[in-house]
Amino acid sequence: MTKKQRKFSDRKEKKTEVKMGEFKVHRVRFFDYMPTAIRAMAFNSRTERLALARADGALEIFNFADNYFQEKVIPGQDGRAVEALCWVGQRLFSAGLNGEITEYDLENLRPRYTVEAYGGPIWTISSNSHGTLLAVGCEDGTVKMFEILEERIQFQRNLDRQKGRIISLSWHPSGTLIAAGMMDMIRIFDAETGRATHRLLVERGVGASKSKEVVVWSIVFLSDHTIVSGDSAGKVQIWDGVTGTLVRTHLVTKWDVLALSVSKDESSLVAGTSEGTVVQFQFISSTVDQQDKEWVRTRTFKNHSHDVRALAHTETAVVSGGMDTQLVVRPLLEKVEKNTQESALRKMTLPHRSLVCCAKKAGLLLFQFPDHLELWRLGESDGHGKPGDSLPVKRKPEKLIQLKRKGEDHICCSALSPCGGWLAYSTVTSFRLYRLQNNNISVTKVSKLPKDLRWAHQLCFSPDSSKLFASSSHSSVIVIALNQPECKYLHTLKPKSGSRQPVHLLFASEDGKWLATANADCEIHVYNLDKLKLHCTVPVYSSCPTAIAIHPTTSNLVAVHADQQIFEFSLVQKEYTEWSRKLQKQGLHSLWLERDTPITRVAFNPKNPAHIILHDMFMFCIIDQSLPLPEAKTPFYNQITLRSLPEPQRLVHSHAFKICKNFQHLMCVSLLEDHSLVVVERPLLNIMSQLPAPVRQKKFAT
Amino acid sequence: MTCMYELANMAKKQRGKSASSSKTANIKHQTDHFSLMLESSDDEAPEEVTFEDSKAEALRSMKQALDTARREKEQLKEKRRKRQELFQEQKKRKLLPADVLEEIDSAPSKTQKQCQEEADEEQQEAEEDEQRKKKRKRSGKLAHARNLKGNYTVQTAKERDSASFQQQAAEDFLQSRMYGPGSCRTTSNELLSLQNKTGRNKSAAVQFVKKDWACNEKAKAEKLKKRWVHKQQIPSC
Repeated sequence: MTKKQRKFSDRKEKKTEVKMGEFKVHRVRFFDYMPTAIRAMAFNSRTERLALARADGALEIFNFADNYFQEKVIPGQDGRAVEALCWVGQRLFSAGLNGEITEYDLENLRPRYTVEAYGGPIWTISSNSHGTLLAVGCEDGTVKMFEILEERIQFQRNLDRQKGRIISLSWHPSGTLIAAGMMDMIRIFDAETGRATHRLLVERGVGASKSKEVVVWSIVFLSDHTIVSGDSAGKVQIWDGVTGTLVRTHLVTKWDVLALSVSKDESSLVAGTSEGTVVQFQFISSTVDQQDKEWVRTRTFKNHSHDVRALAHTETAVVSGGMDTQLVVRPLLEKVEKNTQESALRKMTLPHRSLVCCAKKAGLLLFQFPDHLELWRLGESDGHGKPGDSLPVKRKPEKLIQLKRKGEDHICCSALSPCGGWLAYSTVTSFRLYRLQNNNISVTKVSKLPKDLRWAHQLCFSPDSSKLFASSSHSSVIVIALNQPECKYLHTLKPKSGSRQPVHLLFASEDGKWLATANADCEIHVYNLDKLKLHCTVPVYSSCPTAIAIHPTTSNLVAVHADQQIFEFSLVQKEYTEWSRKLQKQGLHSLWLERDTPITRVAFNPKNPAHIILHDMFMFCIIDQSLPLPEAKTPFYNQITLRSLPEPQRLVHSHAFKICKNFQHLMCVSLLEDHSLVVVERPLLNIMSQLPAPVRQKKFAT
Repeated sequence: MTCMYELANMAKKQRGKSASSSKTANIKHQTDHFSLMLESSDDEAPEEVTFEDSKAEALRSMKQALDTARREKEQLKEKRRKRQELFQEQKKRKLLPADVLEEIDSAPSKTQKQCQEEADEEQQEAEEDEQRKKKRKRSGKLAHARNLKGNYTVQTAKERDSASFQQQAAEDFLQSRMYGPGSCRTTSNELLSLQNKTGRNKSAAVQFVKKDWACNEKAKAEKLKKRWVHKQQIPSC
């Protein structure tokens, strides 16, 4: 991501009228969102969480047991170039080129502390199987051992210093030996004495690459003392760690083998290459008797267009990520049931939370980038037309403000008040509030902030722009009153459950009476804002909520979860609504449940109180509660067929879920006060066109 | 006519100093012989370059050549020596921070000695090569000084600069291994265009399909085209 000013060439805004309910649609394509490359990942098999590190230092936690939901995001920091991640029990450690080891606080979504290793840039980090020692491989050729204590880590000693940089490390499962991949060689260390016992020389590439040193990018030490290495000459080599000899070489690619990962039972190993392929090796015997097992290359997966830099091998799947920024989960067909939801390929492209804030009354959009915020005014169009027409734009959308963040920490969350008068954002260390005036052109910082509000995970303005809600530590929410030009601390709302998890969803009702919060413990709490205390807690459902909203008139809370379930809870009666029970009894349609991206926003239609508007990455849907629910056998995506039918017959065949797939890939679908729909799209082609250079594949006839 | 003399001189030069003296007599004899012959056959008198003069000139030029060669050798030697010194200096400096850390942990008296050493080092550096980045780092050290009991001062080296320098070097290493020469890379334009060409629904290269692809370059190309057309039209009219 370069720092150059990019011309917003996609400023064209098309107005398309959509048939269902006749909406004027602002089709927005000028959000230049660019995801960052994946640098490292680590899978915790006990908690089934995958930790992912991106090139800008951001960390993401995915819950593989909950439909691969992106549960937590820790924003990045300038200079925190994470190269490796490591789980030690429930604790997460990272090491990077800034020479520091960082432990993360996953409850408060920030680094807990950092420790300088004093070895120069750190390339790799790995803990022994007992979870007592942490080894890091440094640029200066040392492998440094740190003791893992309860609240911190402490430097223990250095192993024998080597002449080249240590690029990769792997502990033997017994904890007595360490294999280190370096330049042109692999070293085996005795972990107790610190002495280097063996030196395995890795052959350089052929031809032109003979003059370049070969880098052993990744290494794995198996329990039978076999060492598997992947290097920059494109080889996966199997070594005997006892004698220090080469057993077998597999030339897998013309480019580099960047990552290796082995399954827990050591029967399967995957290698990621610069071509974007993931090659699988399995420890099987070529003959019927199980005697002579060896590592045989079996499958090749090509799910990436760019280099695969990080790999994880779970019990049932291969997880890969790299320079094309997408996280791909490829279930292995011998471990899962074929042709089920479980066996489908999963690709995570866009974040599972909203980066767009829409000011309904003012017609403004706020885009959140890691290093700045952009405020845009939507364009206007006078024209009328038939459904599907593009209306002429009278006034183009314009960028009003670009606000750069201060400090090294990246922006965690941001919000825009519905009237467009207030703008707020927070990083892990600071919170800032701005007042917008003169038709949203001038920005003035509010300097006197309440001292209780130092940072926030999520921000939300009340619909009348009189209050700001900021989620703070341990599921609490701080309420700030906004009086021009200052703000005052009002109250801290705390749930009774005493949950220590952060709140990731906030919603304030239209009438200003209710505030709903959802946290990573799957709890949804609703607070009464008139009394400033907890009103009720929705019964906890096993899947994490991905979007919540409160209906403006009926005060029903609608919650959508990571497993695509939808619930409607009446806040007045403190129980599930009739419609919700009906939906649960009938069950959602299988095509709805099979969708692999979560719903990130729920909105309502002031003109029609029976409508619920939801969207995920590929579609937006209007649920009409007055229509019957679809049966399991009815065609789910029936909008096109309905259009072809004459008017009286349509009502017979309609069902409640009206899905529109015209716009992709959706980052936000929101309704403005003038009843027009705002659809923020980010086509994947635009993201792909700005990725770094892929390898050149020579294909026949091209 | 003069060419004969030149030929003789050239031949003498080529044969070298040692050979020239022995052959001088012969050549002299020969040249005399030639001069006699030529004088009789030509009107113009050839240039009188005495043998001694040309011999002296040849010797001089040879000496010059040897001198330059020797000077160059010495220059190279000097360069090599300086570089060796620089490396040794850097090596010494690299070891020093580890020493400082160890010493700081132990008795405070040692820290004073260490600081003294560092101060001496600093002075030494100040006298030497100005280009060293670490020297600049050291000069900022005073900001992080702490006074212990008595006259002892513990100063932390300002690690920030060197850390970011090392980080940059590591990132450059990664960048050069992955995208540097020999990495065989192409552009995302080509990747996407190939996908268009080989896909199910074949279409043109992506810069033609996607209207706002590389619009800066397209605008530049348009301008150049207009200019070229204009240029072509000028001589015709």
